[in-house]
This record gives sequence, structure tokens and C-alpha cells, in this order.
Amino acid sequence: MLIFHLDPVAQALFSLLVIVALILSFVMLGSHWIRNHIAAFAAESWVIAALSAAVGVYGHYPELVFIAALTALFRGTLLPYLLLRIVQDLKQNREFTPLLQPSSSMVLGATLVVLSYALAHRLGVRMRLADSIAVLALTAMFALKLIGFLMLVLRAEAVSSILGLLVIENGIFLGSQILVPGMPLLLEMVILFDLLIIVSTFGMLIHFLHKEVGTTSSRELTRLVG
Amino acid sequence: MEFATTAAGLSGTADDSYPMSPMAACMRNGEEPMEGHVVLQQIAQVLTIALFAPLLHGVIATIEERVQRGTGPSVWQPYRDLYKLAGKEIVVPATASWVFWAAPVVACTAMLTVPILIPVLTDYPLPLSDMGDILGGGLILTLGGFAILLAGLDSGHPYGGLGSSREAMLAILAEPTLIMVFVGITLLAQAMLPFVVNHLLVAQPAVFWSPAHLFLVAAFFILLTVETERLPIHSSIHYEIYMIGEARILEYSGPLLALLKWASWMKQAILYTIFLNVLTIPWGLSRHGTALGIAGALVALLGKWLLLALVMVFVDTAQSRLRFYRYQEPLALSFLMAVLAVIARQI
Repeated sequence: MLIFHLDPVAQALFSLLVIVALILSFVMLGSHWIRNHIAAFAAESWVIAALSAAVGVYGHYPELVFIAALTALFRGTLLPYLLLRIVQDLKQNREFTPLLQPSSSMVLGATLVVLSYALAHRLGVRMRLADSIAVLALTAMFALKLIGFLMLVLRAEAVSSILGLLVIENGIFLGSQILVPGMPLLLEMVILFDLLIIVSTFGMLIHFLHKEVGTTSSRELTRLVG
Repeated sequence: MEFATTAAGLSGTADDSYPMSPMAACMRNGEEPMEGHVVLQQIAQVLTIALFAPLLHGVIATIEERVQRGTGPSVWQPYRDLYKLAGKEIVVPATASWVFWAAPVVACTAMLTVPILIPVLTDYPLPLSDMGDILGGGLILTLGGFAILLAGLDSGHPYGGLGSSREAMLAILAEPTLIMVFVGITLLAQAMLPFVVNHLLVAQPAVFWSPAHLFLVAAFFILLTVETERLPIHSSIHYEIYMIGEARILEYSGPLLALLKWASWMKQAILYTIFLNVLTIPWGLSRHGTALGIAGALVALLGKWLLLALVMVFVDTAQSRLRFYRYQEPLALSFLMAVLAVIARQI
């Protein structure tokens, strides 16, 4: 729980950062180009890094500034770079597999945001969250998770699946930065390295699939091969 | 974000309950101006829009040409066009009915009515500006467009019907967003009056920088490009295949065409003014209504128009036109921004 009090302008800044992170996930829903998805993911990670740095500065958690630097380095730079390399190896820069048009999936995403607001509002009343910023963080967390799931459902390409998982993870991280800012540093580093392992394993898997099966779309991998 | 006290803050003291008439909150305290003065100020507001709208269009056209390395017409060209058209004869298609004659007059009247309702030069309401709120202004603006749409169908020309059907489809896509933006503005200021919104944003920087307001600005900007016939939806080149707005008025000639063109330029000027004076740059309006203040507000308004014109030129130059089946994408984005703004306001 956020224990320090915020002045109105800082509160506006916090909510702005949270909502910009939310908007960037809609870029992933609305664009056809995988390169744009990766750029949006990188930008989202940088925004979350800025948010955790701001929480660190305003709430006097010096270790959060360090975590912000780690976030920017790992999530904002290294992971997008690895993903870009995977995409370049595949020579596939467009997502051909979405089930819905970009505009429909964006409107669906907006519905999910409304849903998560309703959920966060209920939770906020139940948990007596006094700070409106906590409700906003809960909303953004649920919304990012649902949007990540939506991406996983709508798209079959392997790279999009990794991106969907990473968006879900980003949402949880964003929520934790505001709701429980005092999380141990060690835990954060473990999460970051886990992410690195996920992406590199997925990269190897995709490489293998591409070479052996000739496709990376999960819709075509419906047959068991012994 | 807790904005509940903001509306009360407008009337001066924080512990005041919300004033019965939000309009009264915007009135200047005490000193009532003389009746004649405010009427003159209201007339000045309407004249500002009517007389400077062609200049705004000319400036945008010229800058756009300059950016694309052409020479471009003079900024006074729209005035010359109006003068030239006013002297020509009127040719009416044999199939046209009275709608054909009524549409330009209705459109022009609607555009002359809206400036009465919005803060063009003064930041306090003038006589008759309580006729309608934001929704009323939107209704009158749409009425002008609707009249032209009917006229396009009425002429019986294939291009007219084509333009009208395309315009109707765009309206269907744009209207929900417009309503969402209005709802967002209403929730932000707890009032549907443009003057209240203007005062609130001037008085409270925290509201100005809040995500609710910024996303409303973004949603409104996308609507602005659609409603003022700019890219990514409307083409700046008038080939028949791209035409939307132009196709509806293809059958018009002479003074009627002049009226229609003038009305569309005024619509652009009005929407720019709402966007700038109410939402984006609420400063630089006359507070006391002195002659010097009004003149200063006029200069400030022209400067703001120029800024927005530069942004629009950038959009027009950098954007490519979307194909017909992707029209809903920018509008879906705008809808999304408006929904997010409403949600951010609720929190």
C-alpha cells in the first residue's frame, strides 16, 4: 500500500505515467507490424521504469531508483533487442494471424479496461484503499493482464505470444511498484533474470520450430509428431 | 483524483456549496458591464469567426504549399474566391428541389450561431450564450453538416450521393466518440458549459495536467482532423475518387457555393477555437471586456490559430491517406482515448 502522501501535481504525474503505459499496450493491439509491437513494449518498460523511479524519489525508497535503472536496462533495452533479433531471423515482420481487425480489438481492449476499472473499484471499496492512485494502479494492473491475455488469444504467432506474456508481466510489475513499493531488491532481480531466461528459451524454441516445422504459428501446430 | 471541490472553487471560496447556476460562477464578481457593451462584444465574437475564417484557411493552404516546396496561393486567396463566386450566376440542376436552395443558408446560419455559445474573445458568458451548452453547440454544428448532406442527395448527381453516403458513414463512426468526449468534459468540470471548463483549467494546473484532460485533448484532436477535412481520412487533393466533403457540393455554383465554402471555413475556425480556448490553451482571453483586452484577445486567438495550423500542416504532410476500409482505425483510437479519459476521471 502506498503509505506516503502525494501532492496533486505529483499525483497527476503518477496517473499520467500509469495511463501512458496502458495506452502503449493498445499500440500492440492496434498495429499490424511486429516491429511496432516491440517498440511499444520497450517504451512501456521505460515508462514503468520512470514510474518506479518517481515512486522511489517521492516516497524515499532509494532501492527503487536502482530497480528503475535495472528495469530500463533489462526490460527496456535488452529484451526488445533480443526480440528484434528473433524477428529479424524469422524474416517475418507482420502479424498475419489476428482473429479480429485492429479497430475491433482496440474497442474490445477498451471494454476490458472498463471491466478492470469496475473490478478495481470494488476491490478498493472492500480493502478501503483511500488513495485514488492505488485504485488506478489496480485498474492498470488488471487491464494490462487482460490485454496480454487478449493478445495471446487473438494471435497465433510465437513472437506475439512472448509479447503477450511480457505485457502481463509488465502489468503485474507496474501494480507492484505502486501497491507494494518496498519489495526486496533480490526478488526484483530474480524476476528480471527469469524474464531473460523466458525470452532466450522462447528464442531457441522459435528457431527450432522455424527450422524443423517451417512455421511458428501455433494454429498450424495441431498434430502430434512422435 | 479529487476534483469535487474544483467547481466550488470557481466561485471564490472553497466552502461555498456548488453554485446553483454554473454560468453565474463564470460571471465577473460584482461589476456588471453596460448592456450595450456586452452586445457589442458578442457581435465582435461572431464577426471574428466570420471574417477571419477564410484567412485561417488561406494561411493553412499557403504554409502547406511552402512546406511541400511549392509557392502556394496568397493567404488572401479565399477572400478573392468568395468575391469572385459572389459575382457569378447560379446554375441549378433540373432535379433539385427547395432543399438545394435551403442547405447553404442553413449551413451558414448554423455556423454564425455557434460563436455566440463559445468563448471566442471573452472568458465570461455574453448575452444569449446561455442558449445552449456544449451539446447544443455540437447539435447546431451537426445540423449544418446534415443540411449539406441532404443537398448532396437532393441534386440527384451520382457524386453527390456518393459524397453524402461517405459522409454519413463517417458521421456514424465519429458521433459516438464526440459524445464520449462531451461526457468526459462534463465529468471533468461538473458542467456542460464551455466557460466553466475554461475557468477550471486556468485555475487548476493539477486538472490541466491530469490524464483525464490530456486524453480528452488527444481524442478531440483526432476528431478535429476528421471534422475539418484533413488527412488521414480526407484527402487534400480533390480527385473524384477521394472526395468526401467536396463531392456533396459539386453541383453548386455562384453565390450559393460561396456560402457553402464560407460555412465550411467557419466550421473549421469554430472547432479550432473550441479546441484552443476551451481545452488546450485556455489563457489569453479578455477578462474585463475593455477595448484593449478584446483587441489583445483577438491577436492571441490569431496566434493560437497559427500554432494549431502549423500542427495541422505537419499532420497533413506527414500522414498518408487511409483507405476506405481503415477509416474506423483513427476513430477507434479516439474513442479509446475518450473512454480512458472518462475512466481516469472516475478514479
